[in-house]
Amino acid sequence: MAHLSEGTLRRKFDDEDALTASDTRHFSACADCQARYAAIAEDARAVAGVLTLPDIKVDIASALSHVRSAPAAQPRFGIRLPIIRPASRPAMGIVAAAAVIVALVVTGVAQDALVFFQPKTVEPVAVSVADLQSLSGLSEYGTFAWTKEPAPQVVTSAAEAGTVSGLHVPVVGPLPNGVSSTITYAAMPEAVGVFTFDAAKAAAAAAKAGKTLPTMPSGMDGSKLTVTVGPAVVEIFGNLNAGAAENATQLNLPQLIVGASSSPVVTSTGVTAQELENYLLSQPGVSPKLAAAIRSIKDPSTTLPIPIPIELATSKNVQVQGVNGLALGDNTGLGAAVIWIKSGTVYGVAGTVKQSEILDVANHLH
Amino acid sequence: MGVNLEAGRRHGAVKSNEDSFETLFAAEYARVAGIANRVLADPHEAEDVAQEVFIDFNRLHSAAAPYAAAWLYRAAAHKALNRVRGRRRRERRELSQAADEGGRAMDPQHVFETSEDRRMVRQALARLAPKPATVLVLRASGLSYAEVAQALGVGIGQIGTLLRRAEAALRKEVTRGTSL
Repeated sequence: MAHLSEGTLRRKFDDEDALTASDTRHFSACADCQARYAAIAEDARAVAGVLTLPDIKVDIASALSHVRSAPAAQPRFGIRLPIIRPASRPAMGIVAAAAVIVALVVTGVAQDALVFFQPKTVEPVAVSVADLQSLSGLSEYGTFAWTKEPAPQVVTSAAEAGTVSGLHVPVVGPLPNGVSSTITYAAMPEAVGVFTFDAAKAAAAAAKAGKTLPTMPSGMDGSKLTVTVGPAVVEIFGNLNAGAAENATQLNLPQLIVGASSSPVVTSTGVTAQELENYLLSQPGVSPKLAAAIRSIKDPSTTLPIPIPIELATSKNVQVQGVNGLALGDNTGLGAAVIWIKSGTVYGVAGTVKQSEILDVANHLH
Repeated sequence: MGVNLEAGRRHGAVKSNEDSFETLFAAEYARVAGIANRVLADPHEAEDVAQEVFIDFNRLHSAAAPYAAAWLYRAAAHKALNRVRGRRRRERRELSQAADEGGRAMDPQHVFETSEDRRMVRQALARLAPKPATVLVLRASGLSYAEVAQALGVGIGQIGTLLRRAEAALRKEVTRGTSL
């Protein structure tokens, strides 16, 4: 029989009964194991000796009051959430516009309210900050109005989130170490918006910026794009009330967010998808590189392009729940995310943990 | 009415959160402080560390979380080890003070040796990789194999091996400077 492992011998030092009957027989007949045990026991005794200290005496009541009186802690790394800070709105608008532009790039025929965009998979599109800055807001090309306003709401339970959204609320498996099991649920019913192209408005906005726009294809002026988003559910892990912030823009960053939403659907009246792609990609400031990246997407009508600012983030293709997904971030624990589409639902998991942990959570969603 | 109900429910949730934090604190504070003291050999500083650990925990986690105790133990060991790494200079000052004070009360040579040995051991501990150092500290603080395994997020079957290697490593580190 093989000699006893170091771990087994060490365990024997703490617990005489730790050995199995056959281990005990081997040990009593094996001079080698006995000699190793003697050395292991000597180390263990010596270390226990040097780490021995008198017991610490504590006053729990006074310690608790001390902890209670501690000032609310600042978020780690001093990160502030830039939520709805007026200064960040233009930048957010540009990002949103870029996302919509790449998302609207589609092939195929699109006449009379034909569904021409319903993504089934995700694909990264590298954009530079310069690309983002060169794109003006989509609002300059027409008008946008909600016909069914988004109504996100915080709900008290997974069941209520399911009722509000009509979706199955994903259940997480094991959580990464240190992630709170306190969950805040939010849910949103379906929302619908209509964008109407307006050639005069686009030309006026361009003229104001000193640029000339390419001519809008005939039929595009006045044509409508109907965008349906949601329903959606979001689960936020972490005690959001702890360390309450004094000013409203400063919150604890959630440790983990899990979201699920029906794939967005875009329908069109009038404009064809090819016209739209050509028109948008011919706008001043869209770099040839970005245009090429968008045109290279093989099946744009079923692909949700995710704009990745190349200076700020990295992405890689991964397998999640048996389908292609896109992972962002890295293993530093500062932040990572993964997004994938399965059975008509877009899923996302993001958090201030390692990418490997995010993928683990994603793969264990059920 | 709906609003009142909602506010009441939220208030109830906050209250029960606070209650469970107090229960957790009462159950684990002494042990968490003990773990920090095992590393620092300084009860005052150990209590500082223990309180910081609870403040950190309370900021991000629910006291009812099943991993609460394991989280606290590991955080106490890590935070205390980090302090040792950062306090070398201060330790030297305290050491010479201890030797001066001891001179008035008892054999100065003995006090110096005890204090110096402790310092060497703590420094050696802090030079180990975090995992072996934490295994030693948690086990020496009276945690069972199962508790140590949970705090480290490893299988219980690995604890014997981890302990053995950590003990050999610590002895080696310490014997570089003293006679352990």
